Amino acid sequence: MAQFLQFAFTRAVMALVTLLTVSLIVFTLMELVPGTCAERYLAFKNTQGSQISIDDIKAEEKRLGLDRPFLIRWGSWVGNVFFKGEFGDSCILRLNINQLLADKFWISLGICLAALFLSYLIAVPIGIVSASSNSPVTNNTLRFVSYLGLALPNFLLALIIMLFSTVVFGDSLTGLFSKEFRDAAWSWAKFQDFLSRAWLPIFILGWSATAFALQTVRALMLDEIGKLYVTAAAARGVSGSSLLWRYPARHALGPVINSLGFDLNRIFNELPIVALILTLTEAGALLIEALARSNDQQLAGAIIFLLTASIVALNFVTDILLALLDPRVRRGLMG
Amino acid sequence: MKKFLLSGVALFALTTVANANCPAVTVADMSGVAAGKYPQQFELSEFQDAANCTLEFAENPAIGDLNGQIKGNPDLPPLAERLPEEPLVVAPYASIGKYGGTLDALSNATEAGTSDFLSTRHVNLVRYSDDLATIVPNVARDWSWNEDFTELTFFLRKGHKWSDGQPFTSADVKFWYDNLALDSNVIEKPKDYVLVGGERMQIETPDETTVIFKLPAPKPGLLAHFATHYGQGFQPKHFLGQFHPDINADADSHAQSMGFENGYAAIKAYYGNSDWTDTPTPMLNSPDLLDKLPANTMPTLESHIVIRDTTEGRHYVANPYFHMVDTQGNQLPYISEQDEIYANDQQVRLLKLVNGEADYKTQSLQLSDAPLLLENQEKGDYTIHLKPKIAMHAVSFNVTSEDMEKRKVFGDLRFRKAMSIAINREELNQVAYFGEGKIQQYIGFSPAPDFVDEKWKTFATEYDADGAKSLLDEVGVVDGDGDGFRDLPNGQPLVLNLQFATQGIAGQVVELIGQYWSDVGIKTTVKEVTPDEYRSAQSSNQLDVGLWEKGQPLGIILGNNELWVPPFENYFAHRTGMLWAEWVDSNGEKGVEPPDYVKQLIADINAFQSTPVGTPESDKLGARMVENMVSNLLFIGTALTPDPIYHRNALKNFVEFKTASYEYYRTYPYRAHQWYLDE
Repeated sequence: MAQFLQFAFTRAVMALVTLLTVSLIVFTLMELVPGTCAERYLAFKNTQGSQISIDDIKAEEKRLGLDRPFLIRWGSWVGNVFFKGEFGDSCILRLNINQLLADKFWISLGICLAALFLSYLIAVPIGIVSASSNSPVTNNTLRFVSYLGLALPNFLLALIIMLFSTVVFGDSLTGLFSKEFRDAAWSWAKFQDFLSRAWLPIFILGWSATAFALQTVRALMLDEIGKLYVTAAAARGVSGSSLLWRYPARHALGPVINSLGFDLNRIFNELPIVALILTLTEAGALLIEALARSNDQQLAGAIIFLLTASIVALNFVTDILLALLDPRVRRGLMG
Repeated sequence: MKKFLLSGVALFALTTVANANCPAVTVADMSGVAAGKYPQQFELSEFQDAANCTLEFAENPAIGDLNGQIKGNPDLPPLAERLPEEPLVVAPYASIGKYGGTLDALSNATEAGTSDFLSTRHVNLVRYSDDLATIVPNVARDWSWNEDFTELTFFLRKGHKWSDGQPFTSADVKFWYDNLALDSNVIEKPKDYVLVGGERMQIETPDETTVIFKLPAPKPGLLAHFATHYGQGFQPKHFLGQFHPDINADADSHAQSMGFENGYAAIKAYYGNSDWTDTPTPMLNSPDLLDKLPANTMPTLESHIVIRDTTEGRHYVANPYFHMVDTQGNQLPYISEQDEIYANDQQVRLLKLVNGEADYKTQSLQLSDAPLLLENQEKGDYTIHLKPKIAMHAVSFNVTSEDMEKRKVFGDLRFRKAMSIAINREELNQVAYFGEGKIQQYIGFSPAPDFVDEKWKTFATEYDADGAKSLLDEVGVVDGDGDGFRDLPNGQPLVLNLQFATQGIAGQVVELIGQYWSDVGIKTTVKEVTPDEYRSAQSSNQLDVGLWEKGQPLGIILGNNELWVPPFENYFAHRTGMLWAEWVDSNGEKGVEPPDYVKQLIADINAFQSTPVGTPESDKLGARMVENMVSNLLFIGTALTPDPIYHRNALKNFVEFKTASYEYYRTYPYRAHQWYLDE
């Protein structure tokens, strides 16, 4: 038990260090965006009729603390994030970022996790079955479908579905909520409305994720299935699906669970493009807006940081899970 | 039982179109009623006299529910107590409308691409009629000028009320002028249109319904300003005044009790940082304070009032106190609700329009979108009108760039001329404007008044790539390192970063211009950004190249000098010479001193505004302004083009617009209040 706690603690510290490193990288990237937050804040003062001067910008930089050394600014940014959960104000929208993101981030995370869950739900059983199947029809069909999933970019799939829906149903299937629920408080009805629309991004994101996972599971299974312990088990009279599930599948799934964080990251990377096309109002769409079109460094930084934090958290959880399931993992790690 | 019957009858009368004894006068069919003093509308008594009848009033049957959604509004008194004693009687274009429905609209983002939709509920003291030449009353009942245009008197309507039921009086006009427009705590520097030749006016309010603007010098264009501008010449004194230290001695503590820093912070939350009417409400800018606030948004005289405001969109309900009725006595607006969603991507907006997901749109639609929109008209059950626009796509160079070497080059007239003649406008017209454009240089006035010499309209518009190259050689912008692209005279590479937003200019136009410049050896990169980012970068002097439409009609220039004074327009539009502007603003203490022709422009526009139009003196000033503007090529024009106007066929009483333009405040001349939905 002590050994396990020590393992968990080491893992937690490592996660924290990763997060700090990532925040430093994110913060540095934010600095690389041309122009400063001070300029963007002040630009809006132009609507009041007076011109902003270089002096005004300098004064605003001082007020925002932008004149302090880089590392100190990073420290205070990361401090605010860690201890107060406060990301500051968006440079362009001049709104508090926490308020701006609010449930948007959770919606994004929910969509990604649902896509991840969906892809594993499909990929694991089918991958295992296909690895053990000798039927060329099954194998070739699966291969075709999964290659299509890997080859067809998500944005194209989204466009195809939207085009189809526009032509056939006259509905562009865009947005996350229907009009009457857009500004409403969360309720069961709103959640149902959300689900009636969220299935599309979940399906699109899940599509390629499934194809990817399918290939992984199948390859791992094929590795395991010919091994001696499987043959031995078969010789003992275990056969059929119980042979498959009890022996090679167990070993094959370890690496799959281990890559959960990696898969989540991949899905999240796809999200902004899909979100842009489907005009989803969630964090992914905000991220691409902030990064590509409005140079809003504060907002982009906050979203990237939150995204990384969820991946690090998921990795931490899977590590702990694996360690609980498989003692070799924690021993291997502790040496 | 009798009561039941009576209320049944009343309900019947309310839900069907009120069939009063007055004829259903429309613009299409005046039913023999003579036109009033102003086209398409009457004062109540004027209408009753002309039609020889008594108008009975009727209201939207859902108005009680709609009122219930406006936080802070008390229950409604009867309609007769909500309308002014003299409501404005409006003749609908085609037919008496039906109540109900939601007008759906697409904007780009909060405060980006929203002015089109804002104009559908907009009111001001006066407006332009749909001939774009006659100014007619709106909130004001009438007005009069004195002989030398130094005294403008507005007559308001007796009993006119704000959307919360409080009286609207001349004090609200005076409050707007003295306590908002001229208070540096609210708007840092007074805008030109509240001043005359840089000096303030005096506002007198002899009684509740009379307002006199006393001008220090003649300014005939002041009236046109109120007819075209988003800034409304009145604000609710009873509401904003409670937070203003000059009106309420306890303003600060009152505001603090609601969680604001002080009174001005509360005014900022409700009124915004500017007179731009569409700023975020407390629902968006201070959601954590909402519970303690008396209202979620400040009262308005507009046809609809916002009840929800998020980063995704806004929702509005009809103003139960709106001051207009139709010729059957039905209170306007007909349309009960408005819904606005934000879509910042041009392709997504187009898809939604093709699907008929909006009822009306023209802002941000470009001529290049027309084929797709036209093709799907029948399927999407909408109609596209292609109408000329007043402003044209224009290019400018940052003549006060932070980079001294670039400032030198951009400031060189030969360079700007080279860039202008490097553009193949004939081809641009064929490719990007489908041959629909009329090639013209940017001359400041649009359309061109008679005093404009023809030669300026085509100045430096001929395509001459070789001429451009030799001019660039003269300036010293030559290829020093042999990479095939020209460099700055000091040897540093020159790359023009063409940042643009589709709200201001079409992507194809920018790409083509970039290509033409590359053809004469100037390296360019093209990037689409949001309107917000474009404006921010421009404000902080970070843009190399300005890319946005530009141009205003004479009538507006007479009331507003911003096109002729650095930075040559406001935050929302096309600017250059930001540091010249700083110099002008600080009376020469800061910034960069502009050249003489710019100083001449400033002097001329101020004189021009105080000189009656059409006189030889005025024409001489105008001609000199055009000469200085065009011969110096601060802004480089392309072509005058039409733009698409979209409306769904279910939207009735929609008349074809004369222009697809911002300049007369978009839909304002065409009276969106009498639109209705027939589905």
